[in-house]
Amino acid sequence: MTTVATSAPRRSSGQLGRRVRIVTGVAVTLLFLFPVFWMVLTSFKHQVDIFTSPPKFFFTPTISTYVEYFRRADIERRLINTVIVAAGSGLLSIVVGTMAGYALARIRIRGAATFGVLILLSRGVPPIALAVPMFLVARQLGLTDKHITLILAYSTFLIPYVMWLMRSFFLSLPRELEESAMIDGCSRYGAFFKIIMPISLPGLISTLIFSMILAWEELLFALVLTNRVASTIPVAIAGIAGDTINGANWGALTAVGTITVVPVVIFALLVQKWLIQGLADGATKG
Amino acid sequence: MGTVDIRNIRKSYGNVEVLHGVSLHIRDGEFVALVGPSGCGKSTLLRMIAGLEDITAGDIVISDRVVNHVAPKDRNIAMVFQNYALYPHMNVRDNMGFALRQRRMPKPEIESRVDNAARILGLERLLDRKPRALSGGQRQRVAMGRAIVREPNVFLFDEPLSNLDAKLRVQMRSEIKELHQRLKTTTVYVTHDQIEAMTLADRVVVMNGGVIEQQGSPLELYDHPASRFVAAFIGSPPMNFIEGTVVNGTHVRLEDGTTIHVPVTNLGGQARVTIGVRPEHFELSNAGWPATVSVVEPTGSETQITARMSGQIVRILIRGRTFVRPGEVIHLTVPPDLIHIFDDSGTPSIHAITRGIKQHA
Repeated sequence: MTTVATSAPRRSSGQLGRRVRIVTGVAVTLLFLFPVFWMVLTSFKHQVDIFTSPPKFFFTPTISTYVEYFRRADIERRLINTVIVAAGSGLLSIVVGTMAGYALARIRIRGAATFGVLILLSRGVPPIALAVPMFLVARQLGLTDKHITLILAYSTFLIPYVMWLMRSFFLSLPRELEESAMIDGCSRYGAFFKIIMPISLPGLISTLIFSMILAWEELLFALVLTNRVASTIPVAIAGIAGDTINGANWGALTAVGTITVVPVVIFALLVQKWLIQGLADGATKG
Repeated sequence: MGTVDIRNIRKSYGNVEVLHGVSLHIRDGEFVALVGPSGCGKSTLLRMIAGLEDITAGDIVISDRVVNHVAPKDRNIAMVFQNYALYPHMNVRDNMGFALRQRRMPKPEIESRVDNAARILGLERLLDRKPRALSGGQRQRVAMGRAIVREPNVFLFDEPLSNLDAKLRVQMRSEIKELHQRLKTTTVYVTHDQIEAMTLADRVVVMNGGVIEQQGSPLELYDHPASRFVAAFIGSPPMNFIEGTVVNGTHVRLEDGTTIHVPVTNLGGQARVTIGVRPEHFELSNAGWPATVSVVEPTGSETQITARMSGQIVRILIRGRTFVRPGEVIHLTVPPDLIHIFDDSGTPSIHAITRGIKQHA
C-alpha cells in the first residue's frame, strides 16, 4: 500500500510535467505562428473584410491584392533581385568565410586569434552606423543600385558569421585527418578539398541556409544602397508600410509579406534534412 | 630500402626547446620503439620524421635523402595514428586505396593491392563498410591496411593501440609483430607502454625530457639500465629502489637504522646509494633482508607481495604460490649479479655497469 501511495503521485507528477511541456510547446508554437497565419489570412481578404470587428475567419477569398501589387510594387523584379542578392552574398560568404575559418582553425599564423576576434568585433558595430558611409563609398564608386553592391554589403556581416561557425566546426574535426591525407599524397589544399570539405558538407549547407535567410530579410542596407533597379522585397514592404500619402495598405502589406515568407519556407522544407543533420553533426563530431 | 638517420635533431616551440639534440640511426627492416613518459618528445620526433613538424635544427635522412624540407607526401612513409584518422566519408576500400589513387596508380593495381592487404588483415568482408560501422579493432586494422598498401620505405606508428581495450591490445600487438616479420618494413613505433615497446621492438629507445636516455635491445635495457630512470621505466611491475648509506663497503644502513648486507664486491665510495632490485629477482629465505608483509596478491601463476622494508615499500614477485600472510616478517635475498646500485645522481655505480649477466634460476 505504502509503495503504491508513494509512487503514484510521482508518476502522475511525471505525467503532469509531460502535459505541461506539451501544452507549453503548443502554446509557444501558436504564439509564433498566429501572426503569420493572420498575415496570410488577411492577404486574401477584400479591403472591406480586413478591419471588421469581430475579425472574420470566414470570408470570400480574393487574390486581387496580389494581382494589383505584383504590378504596382514591381514585386516580380524585386523577388528576382532578392534571390540574386541572397544567393550571391550567401555563396560568396560561404566560400570566403569557410576558407578564413579553416585558416583560423588550423594554420599557425602569428596573431590569428586576435585577427579572428577583430573580425568578430566588426559585427558589434551597429549596421546603421555603417549604412551612410557605405552609401557614400558606393556612390563614389558608381555602385549604387547594383546587385553587386548589396552582395558585398551583406558579405560584410555574413563572412564573420560563416567564419566563426565554420571555425568551430573545423576545430571539432581531428587534425590527424588532414595529416593523414597529407602523408597519403595530398597538399594542404588537397586535404582541405578532398577530405575536409566532403565531411563538412552538412555543416556547410546549414550555414549557407542561415546566411541566405539573413540576406533575404535584410532591410537597412537595401534601403540605403538601392533605389529601383536592385531593390529587394523588404524595401517594397517598407515602402508600403511607410506610404504617408495613402496610409498603410494592410492588404498589400500582408500580400507582399506572404510572398516574402513563402520562398523561405519552401526552401527550408526542401533542405530540412540537411539542416537538422548539419546541426547535429556539428555538435557531436570529434 | 628504408633507413632513417636522425642527426642531432632539435625542436623548439618559441623559446621552449622540447628536443635537445637527438641522434638515432635506424637500419633497413628494423623495428624501433620510441618509449617514454608523456611530454618526453617521442611523438614530436615521430611527427618530424613524417614531416608534420618543422625541424628547428639538425637533419633527418630517409633512405640516404635529406628530407628536412620534403613534404610528407613525398617522403614515401606511411603513418598509423592513435585515433586512426580514417576518412569518415569513404568506405574501407576507398580509405585503403586513397593514397594509391592520389598517385594515379592504375585501377587494377590499386584493387589487387587493397585486396591483398585486406586478406592479410582479415578485412575482406568489411571492404564496403564506412568507418562508423566498424568496431575499434576493425578501424585499427583499416588504419594499418591503409599503411600496408602504400608499400612505403618506413612505417610510422603513433600509439596505435592505446585506444583499444586491454584484451584487443594484446591481440593487435602480436598482429603488428607478425606483420613486421612478414613485410620486414622499417618501422618506428611510438608508445608510452614499455611492455608494448619491449615485446614488439628489435630496439627500444627510451626518451626522457627531450633526450635519448638509453637505447638497446629490450633485454639489454632490462638487464643493464643505464640510469635510474630507465631502470624504473622498463620492467613491470617496476624495479624497487631502496635508499641508504654505505657502511664499511658491503653494508648499507637504511633509514630506520637497519643494516643490510649487500653481497656485491664494491659499493663504491659513495656515501648514499640506491639499491635497485626487480620484484621478480627477490627470493624468500630464512635469512636476509627483513621485510613486513602488508598485501599478498595471488594470480595463480605467480604471487605478488607488497612489503615494507624500513618504511619503504617493496614489491616482490614470487613464481607459483606462497603461504606468507600479511603481518608476517619475511627475509629476502637477491643473487648478487641481479642487484643494481645507483649513486646519488641516479647513474649506476661501477658495479652495476660491469656486472655480468648470469642466468637467473
